Amino acid sequence: MIRRRQVLSTLGAAGLVAAPYVRAFGGAPVKASLRLKWLPQAQFMGFYLAVEKGYYRAEGIDLTINPGGPNLLTENLVATGADTFGVSGGTDSVFAARDKKLPIVCFGIGHQITPFVFVSKKDGPVKTIQDFKGRVATTWFTGANYVLESVLAKAGVNPKDVNIQPQQVSATPFVEGKVDVFTATLYNEFYTLDKRIGMANLTKFAAEDYGITVPRDTLIVSETTAKEKPELLPAFLRASIRGWRDAFADQKAAIDLMMKLAPTLQREHQEFMLAEIKRLMLAGKASEEGLFWIDPAAVKTAHDVFLNYKVISGPVDLKAAFISAPLQSIALADRKV
Amino acid sequence: MAAASKTSAGLFSTGHTVLRLVAGLAAIAVAWQASVLLFGIRPYYLPKLSVVLDAIASTPAAYAASVARTAAETLLGYVTGAAFGVLLGSVFFHHKVLKDTLFPMFVVSQTIPVIAFGAVVVLWFGNTLFAKAVMAFYLTFFPVTVNTLLGLQSVDPAQEALMKSFGAPHRQLFWKLQFPNALPQIFVALRLATSLSLVGAMVGEWFGDTTGLGVLLLQATYNENVVGIWAALLVASALGTLFYASVAGIERKVVFWRAEQ
Repeated sequence: MIRRRQVLSTLGAAGLVAAPYVRAFGGAPVKASLRLKWLPQAQFMGFYLAVEKGYYRAEGIDLTINPGGPNLLTENLVATGADTFGVSGGTDSVFAARDKKLPIVCFGIGHQITPFVFVSKKDGPVKTIQDFKGRVATTWFTGANYVLESVLAKAGVNPKDVNIQPQQVSATPFVEGKVDVFTATLYNEFYTLDKRIGMANLTKFAAEDYGITVPRDTLIVSETTAKEKPELLPAFLRASIRGWRDAFADQKAAIDLMMKLAPTLQREHQEFMLAEIKRLMLAGKASEEGLFWIDPAAVKTAHDVFLNYKVISGPVDLKAAFISAPLQSIALADRKV
Repeated sequence: MAAASKTSAGLFSTGHTVLRLVAGLAAIAVAWQASVLLFGIRPYYLPKLSVVLDAIASTPAAYAASVARTAAETLLGYVTGAAFGVLLGSVFFHHKVLKDTLFPMFVVSQTIPVIAFGAVVVLWFGNTLFAKAVMAFYLTFFPVTVNTLLGLQSVDPAQEALMKSFGAPHRQLFWKLQFPNALPQIFVALRLATSLSLVGAMVGEWFGDTTGLGVLLLQATYNENVVGIWAALLVASALGTLFYASVAGIERKVVFWRAEQ
């Protein structure tokens, strides 16, 4: 009896919350999908939590989350309409897509600062950025290489003097000292390094220390959707922010859900990941402006790096590629964590 | 009496085969576990078998769901690919013009690495079981086509001439002589395609999915979860072996005369 009353009151409460939004879309929820840049893991916790708690449904969106993979480009899938929304690589992949005339726009940025750092071992030969000269550094040749070259250039080191090689998945060459500098995302490779070497034995070189930043994990949507169903964007953002706030507020409950979704993941790693993701998402301007904030200055800095290295054929119209209006239509108090 | 003794002899030999298989597996398991312990191999290179089995046992539901999903994708792609391959081989056998025009294109299609094909399959079929079955299909149909054609072409001309001299129609010639004659050759491809289709399905899962052995493998690889990698490999090889053995078993039943030749 008590249980039934509880269910009824929960349903009633959900109905009260859901009613205004569902009506805004004319009754039935709109079917939509979100393509991630990778497989289910705490990096996307807020989105999964928002689905689980019915936040998208309350906004009138029937959302399906589609995981990514190593050979999938989220920009392509969103541009062709195969997926409605996407968590894509980052500002770098948005520039590249716009440069190739793919009709996608970015309407939110997850990681406010560069989510990867360059690391060396404290007992190794690289103590300062000047020591990179003549040493072996590995990085991803999908954009991170330009960040490394820019960092070196800013520090007055000629990138040609550093032996920069493509980085394989495994951290073993670095652990064994065959590689002097390794690129690590703060939420993934860094965890492995911490387990194998220990964080205290590592020196971090962050792009931000050299005046460079590449915000990543960008929310994208096709120009068509942005034009024809503009109301969908703030609705998606509101629900996503609610999910992320919940994820940060009760990280244990959030990871419980992740372990249910992907039981073979390592819980300890996922807990580490969520804590790091929180830091990345609340860094920079997001501390004042709230989640998914698009900081034009940061975007411009990243843009200039890729333009400088001719990764993009010409300047990208940043005002057209990054739209803040959907986010700004949400009250600041509702965006902040 | 004779029949009874034959059956018991058959059972005895089946029992022997199973026994040998179990002994072989046990030997590998012991060698694995012992070499890690004896030579002090670091877990990043090769974890102990017991640790790998522990990992599977601690989340059995995840592995069971993945096996079921990957098996379904593989089987769907395999069966349709095999049927299509046999059909295509037969059509090519009867229509030389069609063979000369289409066959080179199928050869070209097979030079495309399956991984390059994956992104397109996702665009076309989305994140469905069907999309992965398409990858399994793609790797299955070609060897079956080639071997069907080869088998049909290798019929003894004297036997063909004999049947024709008795006025056998085309249909009868195909079903009574050419097709049965091609079966051993077709089964070579069918056995080969078991592993190919499994690879196709697993690679297909690398293009955005949440369940499947390919997903487990990918996730473990990128998280540097070495135990997870070996667990996924172990389960995948068990599935592949079972699949191969099943097809080989069917082969023994269908192409029963092969052993007598």
